[in-house]
Parts: sequence; C-alpha cells; structure tokens
Amino acid sequence: MNFLNPTAIAIAAGLTIPPLVALYFLKLKRSVQLIPSTLLWKRTVEDLQVNSPFQRLRRSLLLLLQLLVLILAAIALGKPMLDMADPHESTIIILIDQSASMGVLEDDGQTRLDTAKQQAKLRIDDMDDDARAMVIAFCDRATVISSFDSDKSALKHKIDSIEQTHSTSSLGEAMSLAEAYAQTSIIGGSEAGRDIAPKSAAPPASVFIFTDGRIADASQVALQSFDLDEDRDTIQVTNIGRRDDNVGILAMQARRNYERPEILEVTATIRNFGLKAATFDAVLYVDGQNVDVQTVRLAPGGGNASEPTRTAAEPPDGSLTVVVFDHIEFEGGGIVEVVLHIDDSLSADNRAWTIIREPRHARVLLVTPGNLFLENALQSMPLELTTISAPEYERAEDKRILHGKRSAFDVVILDRHSTARLPRGNYFFWGAVPEIQGVTAGKTIDDQVIFNWDDTHPILRHVATETIFVYQWFQLSLPPETVPIIDGETTPVLAYFTRDASQFLISAFSLLAEDDAGNAMMNTFWPTSVDFVVFVQNSVQYLAGNVAVLGRRGISPGEPVSLPIPQDLTHTRVIRPDGVDDRVPVAGHPTIHYARTRIVGTYRVEPGEPGRNQFAVNLFDSTESQVAPTSTLTLGTQQIQAKTGTLNVNQPAWRHFVIAMLVLLLIEWIVYNRRVFV
Amino acid sequence: MAVSTTTRHDDELLDPEFLNKLDQLSLISRKIFAGKMRGERISKRRGESVEFADYRNYVVGDDLRFLDWNIFARLDSLFLKLFLEEEDLHVSVLLDVSKSMDWGNPNKGLYARRIAAAVAYIGLVNFDRVSLYAYSNGLQYELPGVRGRRLMFKVVDFLKRLPYEGPSNLAAAGRQFAFRHPQSGIVILLSDFFEKGGYEDGLRYLLGRNYDLYTVQLLSPEEIEPTLLGDLMLTDIEDDDTAEVTVSRPLLNRYKHNLQAYCSQLREFCTRRGINYLFSSTEVPFDQIIMSYFRKRGLIK
Repeated sequence: MNFLNPTAIAIAAGLTIPPLVALYFLKLKRSVQLIPSTLLWKRTVEDLQVNSPFQRLRRSLLLLLQLLVLILAAIALGKPMLDMADPHESTIIILIDQSASMGVLEDDGQTRLDTAKQQAKLRIDDMDDDARAMVIAFCDRATVISSFDSDKSALKHKIDSIEQTHSTSSLGEAMSLAEAYAQTSIIGGSEAGRDIAPKSAAPPASVFIFTDGRIADASQVALQSFDLDEDRDTIQVTNIGRRDDNVGILAMQARRNYERPEILEVTATIRNFGLKAATFDAVLYVDGQNVDVQTVRLAPGGGNASEPTRTAAEPPDGSLTVVVFDHIEFEGGGIVEVVLHIDDSLSADNRAWTIIREPRHARVLLVTPGNLFLENALQSMPLELTTISAPEYERAEDKRILHGKRSAFDVVILDRHSTARLPRGNYFFWGAVPEIQGVTAGKTIDDQVIFNWDDTHPILRHVATETIFVYQWFQLSLPPETVPIIDGETTPVLAYFTRDASQFLISAFSLLAEDDAGNAMMNTFWPTSVDFVVFVQNSVQYLAGNVAVLGRRGISPGEPVSLPIPQDLTHTRVIRPDGVDDRVPVAGHPTIHYARTRIVGTYRVEPGEPGRNQFAVNLFDSTESQVAPTSTLTLGTQQIQAKTGTLNVNQPAWRHFVIAMLVLLLIEWIVYNRRVFV
Repeated sequence: MAVSTTTRHDDELLDPEFLNKLDQLSLISRKIFAGKMRGERISKRRGESVEFADYRNYVVGDDLRFLDWNIFARLDSLFLKLFLEEEDLHVSVLLDVSKSMDWGNPNKGLYARRIAAAVAYIGLVNFDRVSLYAYSNGLQYELPGVRGRRLMFKVVDFLKRLPYEGPSNLAAAGRQFAFRHPQSGIVILLSDFFEKGGYEDGLRYLLGRNYDLYTVQLLSPEEIEPTLLGDLMLTDIEDDDTAEVTVSRPLLNRYKHNLQAYCSQLREFCTRRGINYLFSSTEVPFDQIIMSYFRKRGLIK
C-alpha cells in the first residue's frame, strides 16, 4: 500500500484529531449529580474496574471509534493505492498487443484489447506525477502510440485510439523500439549532462506488456539493455483473456479445373482449437451468392494453453479437416468466400476470401533460338503460345508485342536471350538476364551444386527439387529486393523480383548449353522428368497471376501489397473491408504500395488495373487462431510468469477506507445509543 | 432532581387523605398488638393485677396472700390464684432522618414518617406506650412514652418538625437506643439502610435487648431503577463522597445486580436473627404496607 498524497493525511489528521481529543476531555468534565448514597455506585464501579483494561477501553470506546473514523477518513484523503508494484519507477513503457487474437470477445462482453487498454489506463493512473510513460502497440509491426509523456489524460486518450488489427503478433520490433526509446530518453531527459555510472546506463524503465501471450516470435526476442533481474520486475506481463474456444480457417484455395476452367474447386482447411468438439456449417459464397453449405464436425483441438508459442505439434486427430466444395460452376471472376457459421471467440478467422479471375488461356510469347523441351512443355498446356526467335523479338513492331504500354503477352519467356526491350510485363529468363539496372550476369560456374531451395514457393509446388542437377550456370548479381528460390553455393540459381509493375523470374542456367566445341548439349536432365512440366506450368501461372491463392498464404494482415494501376493518375483509392475509403497518392509510379492491410477482407482499388484491382487479406495463422492465453511468456531465454487479472495494477483503495469508516460510524452510533437510552 | 421538599412534606403529612386513612386504620386495628405476643408476655409474668387468670397448686414459699381460702375451705387443699400482670406494651419507632432519606419521588423520608405516624396512631389508639426516635449520626430527636389517642397531635407535631441532617449511623443510634430502652417491646426501624459503616452492628445492638424487631427498608423508584445518563460525577448527599461513572447499560445492570445483592444480604441477616424484614419501594401506597404487610407478619391482627 502506498499513498499518492501523504501530506493530506498529515493535514487532515492534524486538523481533526487534536480537537476531537480535546473535545472528548472537555466532555469528561462530568456533570455533578446528587444521589442519596454512593455506596452501591462505588461498589458497581469497583466491580467494573475489576476487569480494568477492558473496561477502561469500553469507557473510551466512543473516543476510540471516533478516532478510528477520523484516521480512516484521513487515510482515504491520502489517495491510498494497493499493490503499487514499484513506487520508484519513473519511466514506464507500455506495450499493448493489438494482434488478431486480442479481438477475442471475452465473457464479460469486452474484447481482450478493450481489457488490455483498460488495464493499461489503470497503470497510467497509478503513475507518480513526475513519472513518464510511453505507449507502443504491436502486432506484426510496432507502432509508437505515444512517446514519453507524463500527461496522464493525453496518454489515456492515446491508448484509447489503439485499433484492433487482424495481424499476427511480433514482439521483437516493439521491444527494440522500447529499448531504443528508453535509452534516448535518458540521454535527452533530465539526467542529460550528468555523469552516469556505467551500471546506470541501463534504462531504469519498467516495461509492462499487456498481451494474451500468443506471440509468435517471443522466443526470438533478444533483450539487450533490459536485464531481467530476479529482484526487480523490469518486464511485467499482464495476461489478458480466458476463452479458448475457437475454430478457424487456416488455408483456402480456389482452383479452376484444368480441363474445364468454368468448374471451380474450393478447399478450406479448418481447425478446431478449443477444448470442446464443434459442429457448424461452412458456407461457400461466390460473388455474394450462397452456393454450397457443408456441415463440419471437429473433435476437440486440445487448446494447449500452457504452450507458450507457436504450436509446432500436430493437432489432435479430428480437430483439423479440409472442406472441399467441388463442381462449382462459375465462369466469371469475383470473390470466393468461405464463412464458418459458428459463434466462437475469434471472428476474424471464421471467414476467408480469395479473388478469382475470369478463366482465360494465358498468352505466352516464347523467344527462343529453338528449344525442344520448352516448346513441348508449353504446347502441352492450355495456352495461347507464340514462338519467335530473338532477332524477330527485337525487330518486332510495337503493336505486335505491346498492348498500350504493357506487354501484349501475359508471360514472355526469353530463352538464352538477354534484352533491354522490356515493356511492362512478366518475364521468364532462361540462361539470360534482363538488361536493367542492378542485374548482371557474371562468370560461368560449373563446379557447384544446388545448395538450397525454397520448396514452399508456389513455383516449386509439386516439384521434386532434389532431382535437379545442373551442369553449369552463370553468376547472377541481382537487386536487393530479389527473392531467391533456388540457391547455389554462392549465388542464386533461380530468383524472382518485381520492378515497375514488371515481374522477372530469372534462371541462371539454360536447358541447353554449348560444349567447348560449340555443339548443343543438355545442361540438365531435368526436362526429361515430369517435374519440369509442372515447374513450367507453375511458373507461367505464377507470372500470369492465375494462381489465385494456390498454396501461397495469400496476403497476411499487415503485409504490404504492390498493385498495378492505370497510367496517368495522381492518386487512387483503396476501399477497405471496413468501408474506409483510403486515398493513395500515386507519385508517377505504375504501381502503388499499400500497407494498411491490417484487417481481413477484400480490398478494392479504384481505379485499378482491370482484373487486378482486388485483393483479399486472410488471417490464416494458427498462432493467432490458437486463442487460449498463455501464462508464461518466453522472452529470449527468460521465462516471465504472466500475471492474470488486474494484478500489478495499482488500485485506488480509498473506497475501502470510506466503507470501513461508514461501518465504524454505524458501530459508533449503536454504542452511543446503547449508552444513552439503556 | 432530589431537592429538599421538607416543607411540602410537613403539610402533606397531615393532609386530609392521610388522616382519613389513619381513621380507617384505627377502626380496623382495634386489636392491634393483641394475640400471641401479649399472651407470651403474660404467661411469663404472672402479676398483680386484678384480672384472674388461673389456679395452681401451692408450693412452699408462695405468697400466702394469693391463696384461695374458699377452695381450701371446700376442698381442704391449697390452691394459689394467678392474676394477669398489667404491663404496658412499648412500641418504639426508629426513624432514619439522615440526608439520604430526603430523596426520591415519592420521598423516602415522607414515606417513612407516614408509616411512623400510622404505627404510632395505632399504638396510641390501643393505649400502648409509643416512643418515637429519629436518628442520623446517633439518636437525634425523641418523643418518648406517649400514650393515649389524644396525644396524637404531639406525634404529628414531632414528626413534622424533624429535619434531615447528617449521615446515618445506625450503629451509634442502635447502641444509644438499647441503653435507653431496657424494656422489651416492639421496635420498628424505618431506613434506607444505606449505611457506609454497615448496618450489622446497629441491628446487633437492637437484638441484644430482645425486642420484637421490624425493619422496613425504603427505597425510592429512582434508586431501584436509576434514570441516570451520561458521564456523571455522582455526589453523595450525606458526606459529599463522589463516584465518577459513565452510565452504560452494563454499568446499570451491574448496579441493579449490586442493589439486589445488598438487599438480599440484609434480608438474610435479618431472617437469620428472627428480625422481620420488609423491603418497599416508596411507590407502594403506604397504607398497603400497614394493612397487608404488617398484618401478614403478625404485627397487626
């Protein structure tokens, strides 16, 4: 217990108690009463004085009660606080989780975020007047809501402004931000210019984390300047939330039938995270129309509440299912949505969207001096294939290869032909490079093996990468934004990057090479395997954008999106799922980067490139869907026991004192009446 | 509360209602002090009155004057004639007039004087020898040996003029009374028995003379059920002794308990020694005491 205003106690007590005692002694000037004989009274008083200590107490019971009442009132005036965690903390950093799982509606009708905000505000209330606090909200990124401030109402107002997102949670950035700010504040704060001993260089800041503990990267958080002393709670975690029942969609795909593109097949992976079995309807909507309903029964998912971080373990049998809606006839393009009709704690993962486009055969231009394997592979696919040679490509008129300012083809495959003629489009270079800034082909490498591959990438889906053996490739130097897909020992072998609304997929090797004598020879035996066809299909679909959401997790909440837009716009608008109309300046670029994707749903760009003006953001995250709060938070190697409920928050205690005071007043009244009326 | 009301009491002592009641008493109490008490006394002392009582055989040494010669002539044997002794009955009233008696509503002193007057009246009516003594710190006033109804005015006058003064000292009063009053008789002691020095010695002195002793303890309602409240300095009206009390229910309960114990003790003391004890609140009509209580106890027939 501590007092925010101890002087008030002294003043109140000093002003009231001496007069009371004085009044009491004045009252003790007893009125003289004549009686026939004091004989019996003396005996009586003597009798009562036999039990002297208690009787003396009883005699001054009223005084004692009144003194107690006054003392309680004085204490109440002193603003007593219960459980003041550390009265000396002058710098407080409050981290509030705003990730998807904080959107769980708890039994008290409030979301976890609401509770976290409330508790954070209580914490602010309990600060010393000269203490400063900083507020950081974190989901997949950390946002400084308020830098160091000692204005409590401003801080609370800012805490109120924290919005619910559907992003994943990541604490690392928030912690480093907190550390950085804590140090800055020391240098720039009131202690600036003083000699600070090396030991005190560590910020005397206390960090309060309000979270449900579902933090994916908690174990990777490296604490640099915050040391977790045993005796001092530098970092305190308040555990928010109780519910653990949740059913969520973890993945969703909408795929057109390969032979009959008007037939759609939608699959959704659904998992029950709760401790109870769940039965509900999964409904498929295509363009807003209810198309199909399936009843899903899921066994309890275990709800491993004690497990601190991402659940790597396999879900229990029956708690995970893949719902397949097949033979959906839909020829147009639009939004495919799967909705789970269940009343669970988290609603953000009960819906999933994907955008599908009108079925259309991709138009592919193959620029090659002749490549049997590629031609065969492409001809076997439902494509509109045009094959020309490299000189033809360079000579070709604009109207032949251009549509407006974009390439007239969905994908241009350049086999062993590096070129600078690259209108906006999607390019797949085999053994060649685009002649643009930052991309160069170096010396030939023939003494290395393929070292690493990203087999989660959609391009390598269903491709047995371990069967790929390549004789030689050239050293690639690529811009930093490049995503390597297959790595050699020193350089990437297959890499992907985008620039100016163009996509580039570059293979450092070609299928055919020339031996020392100049004869054509196989550079790899890969084309003879069926994996190669799959690979080409994946590549073309990926580049052409037909792979709606296929294997890839789509866009996660908070992930930035690059969107092509029509030319000559100064700004465009993005209409978010919550109806907010976001004006985005274009600044002369053919694409916009949009990052305010923190809520799930479908986003629409207006005006946008036809067919590519919509995108869907889905949660698809088992860490967030696993809503059961954890009691321990592992930060790096340290485990922090989370406090539940309203712990570590100082509660104003004056109410208790006032209640006690009223009770005492009542007792005093009873005692007084007993004495008077007998 | 307890202011002196002496003057008013003097008037009230002879108020018409009281006199009326005395007259009634005189009618009913014709045979007062008759019965066994006198009988006992008579059987002890065969005396020299003219009233014949009995015969008995002559034994050597008897006074020859009382031989019944007529019977000797007829029966030739000696019988002695016995006569009732004519003896005055002494009725003494010991009245406490210490300051503590001038208290209460109805007033204890007035109440006591009324009882004294009533007893005296009854005694006078029956031609008994009535003596009145008032004591506080020793015997203070006396009206000895009044006899005959016409002297009632003397009794009333005496009672009327009695002042309340000093502390009560029953021991001194009892000793003086016993010295002065060797002959046996009926003694009625009227007091509140709030004796700081203890009532036992005084009662023992009285017992030593073999009186028929009647004690009447008179307490006012305020003493039985105190109505005090607050923080008080209780001051003794007799000796200015003080007791500081803060009146509370436990204290009052304790007081009542003590009062009861005190009265029981007195009763026990009296009963063991053959003293008739009566406790009365001054709220009880005094004639009721005379009529029912004294009769019950055999003082009045």
